[in-house]
Amino acid sequence: MKGKPNCGSISRLVSILSQALEDCAEQKKKLEYNLTLCRALLGDWKVQTPESPKPENSPKGDQESEPSPKELEDLELLNRALEKALRVRKSTPRNPLEALGAAEGKKAAEKKPATSAVRTQQAPLSKESVPKTIKVTSVCKKAASSKKLSAYMLKAPYRTDPVKAPTSQSSRAPKVAGKSSTKGAALQQARKTVLTASVSQQEFCAAAEPSGSPRSPLQQSSSSFGGSASGENSVAVILQGVDPENDCPGSLAKSPVTQSHTAGDIPMGSITARTFTLQEKRSLLKLPLPYRKAYSRNSRLWEKCHLCQSSSATAAARSRFLERMQATFCSSAPAFSPAEIEEEMIVLRDAHSLLSQYMEAETTGHPTWEREYECLLTLEGLQDAASQCLHKLQLLRAAAESQMVVHPADCVHSVEPSAADCAPIRGRRCGDTGVLATPLLFYSSFQELRDMAALKLQVVMLHQQIDIQKVLIAELLPILESWLPRDDSPSHLYRAVYTQLCEGGERFPVLMNDELPD
Amino acid sequence: FGSTRGMWPGRAGALPAAIGALCRALPPGSRPAPETFRLAKFNRPEAVRAGEAGTDPPDGYCTQIRFVKSVLRYHGYGRPEFYQLPSDGSQGSRELLLAFSWLLNRINLLEQLLTANRVKIGDEASVCTVSRFFCLSSPSHQLDVDVRYLQWLNGRLRFKWRSLHVDRQEQCKLLHKIHSYTSGCHMDQTIGHFSVTETDLIRQPDSYKQLLQLLESETSRLEAFLEWKQLEPVYWHWMVKSRERTLPDEREFCAAVRTITEAVKLKLSDLKYHCAHKKNGMHGSYRLVFKDKRSEPITNVNATEVISKLQMEEATLKRELKRLQEECRHKLDEIAEGLVGVICIPPIKR
Repeated sequence: MKGKPNCGSISRLVSILSQALEDCAEQKKKLEYNLTLCRALLGDWKVQTPESPKPENSPKGDQESEPSPKELEDLELLNRALEKALRVRKSTPRNPLEALGAAEGKKAAEKKPATSAVRTQQAPLSKESVPKTIKVTSVCKKAASSKKLSAYMLKAPYRTDPVKAPTSQSSRAPKVAGKSSTKGAALQQARKTVLTASVSQQEFCAAAEPSGSPRSPLQQSSSSFGGSASGENSVAVILQGVDPENDCPGSLAKSPVTQSHTAGDIPMGSITARTFTLQEKRSLLKLPLPYRKAYSRNSRLWEKCHLCQSSSATAAARSRFLERMQATFCSSAPAFSPAEIEEEMIVLRDAHSLLSQYMEAETTGHPTWEREYECLLTLEGLQDAASQCLHKLQLLRAAAESQMVVHPADCVHSVEPSAADCAPIRGRRCGDTGVLATPLLFYSSFQELRDMAALKLQVVMLHQQIDIQKVLIAELLPILESWLPRDDSPSHLYRAVYTQLCEGGERFPVLMNDELPD
Repeated sequence: FGSTRGMWPGRAGALPAAIGALCRALPPGSRPAPETFRLAKFNRPEAVRAGEAGTDPPDGYCTQIRFVKSVLRYHGYGRPEFYQLPSDGSQGSRELLLAFSWLLNRINLLEQLLTANRVKIGDEASVCTVSRFFCLSSPSHQLDVDVRYLQWLNGRLRFKWRSLHVDRQEQCKLLHKIHSYTSGCHMDQTIGHFSVTETDLIRQPDSYKQLLQLLESETSRLEAFLEWKQLEPVYWHWMVKSRERTLPDEREFCAAVRTITEAVKLKLSDLKYHCAHKKNGMHGSYRLVFKDKRSEPITNVNATEVISKLQMEEATLKRELKRLQEECRHKLDEIAEGLVGVICIPPIKR
């Protein structure tokens, strides 16, 4: 070997490091999967409707979605109904047409309640899906008594005047003056105008009430659509009646509002297609009933299984069987099974660490004779314990070797099980205490959780580092020591080995030439 | 080993019920038909093919037999007749039955399988820090490796750990949010809030149909397990009866007894040792629950306990690592003295 910092045979070290890297990569993958899921859960949830499953995580607000063909159909019917209503109204002249202002929903409650009410209502009503209408109905019923509006004028709802969003949706001014764009914009608007719309509809309905004469024709037309509500809600009834799905006003059960919330209960204030976040809806969520049932059955049974004790008859029968079997075993079998060897090894490893600790404690100064005597006795006890461990180790080694002899193929774990449920069989489990318990781990603050996670990771990493360190010692030191006689400056190698062995690979020593400058 | 015939007043139907319960308590993928047991007792060849429960490698039948043998060897099963069975599965159903029963008895196979295959609906937190031993078998070939490659591997490992730490911390943040947002929603008062899986179950119920099925199948396995526990003695008595056929050699018997006694002695000495040095005993997987007020249930655990235990362990391990590094430093100093014309200056302590 030349000056190149070559290492010789350290394949065990390499394989250990590679294995450690693989383990890390696997953990990271699992973690990332979980993180993605968590982020999705904390982001926006799009409520799923049975007919049209929407994509997840659509950002709130500024989404332009194309109205579905069904919605277009509804829209068409709605428009025709309104047309009819208009014609009926025109035939009974009342107050002069009030110019419909440019501003819509924002000023709906302020300036021209009636007209803008109509306006704002048109948009949602014409494009909105049924539940809105039904809600309108119910809202109207409540507000039926308020008669603040005297005059209003219906503007043809089916005209494609651009409808500005009533709230802060001003950016959604549609460019194309086509029906679809209006629909799109209005759909957009509809999603945002619960409050305004319902308010205006109240007023609209209220306004509809005093219209005595047109009532009957409206009612007639409503009846032609199969509406069955009272006259006060005539237009609403028409609209409602138009909906092919819902013929009766009270069929809230069928509305997509509730339909879309099969999984979770959401307060009735929200529109079907709205997004929401976990943060907003928190305590209103409920797990689905089938899951709740299954969960409670399941946890009850786990409790029972945990409490279930083997009877003495069972224990006796079991041990008798084991004895009989043991008697037929090959008498030359090694004293420890591989499973036992592994378990004992873990115990010994911990014992070693414990002994080292005790040893260190005793190497501190001994000022008094009492202390010295105590130290002596302790050391004797430690020596005793150590020799016991060594003895055990010898036995284990002998057993392992005889295992190798008898069944060589097996000892390198060549037959690796792939199924997860083989883990207990292969002994990767650790500790069999409380086998059927349902343990819960309580934490009381975010800081606690973080600390626990950080510590856990740290401890596992330290274990790994120690194992690696031991292999490093076993494989790197001999290489250096065998280099001593040579003097062709192994400084690179020395430095590298020093770093790995003494500084955990983090810092480097400095090597200086021991030459006096002239 | 006298005859035990007539000692056990067998209840008619108790044995099939026991075997039936046993089969139903096993995981669905590796469940033999109850009839297989009866056939196996009479060493019928077709019972072999019915499969060994609890072990399920996907490959061919040869591999399966080999796998089963290796598992039993791992746990110290010592019947030579079993290991001599041919790999084609043409015979030996009785031996397989014996082996299976032994495993069932020895390592509480049923309980292990139930726990290992448990449906995970909570946010799992494993408290156990026992790290497995790396594969320490001697390598098949020697590699000549540049030490810089080692340094690079080590550096990568350290980096991966750091990145893992960052991810884990973020996970804690998100988990905590979800836990606090959903507190008060869970029907189980002890737990109080949803886990990630449960929250997702609400968001996308259709994706979790399988979960529900798994939960239900697990419930029926648990019921079968309880039944089995009631009827267990019947099964063992039946098995013992089936053992009577081959009486071991007298000398073998004595040797066996000797082996057992020695092994037991060793085990007990180990136990005594364990009693003197108490071992940290938190293992397995827990469900993570966020609860503001402290609670002291029996089988449940608080994060504060875990944290203090982990802190102690961390301190111990850090000490040990330092000790090892110090030893190395001494050794390397010695080596440095042997280097000609070079002085080594160790890095400044942080």
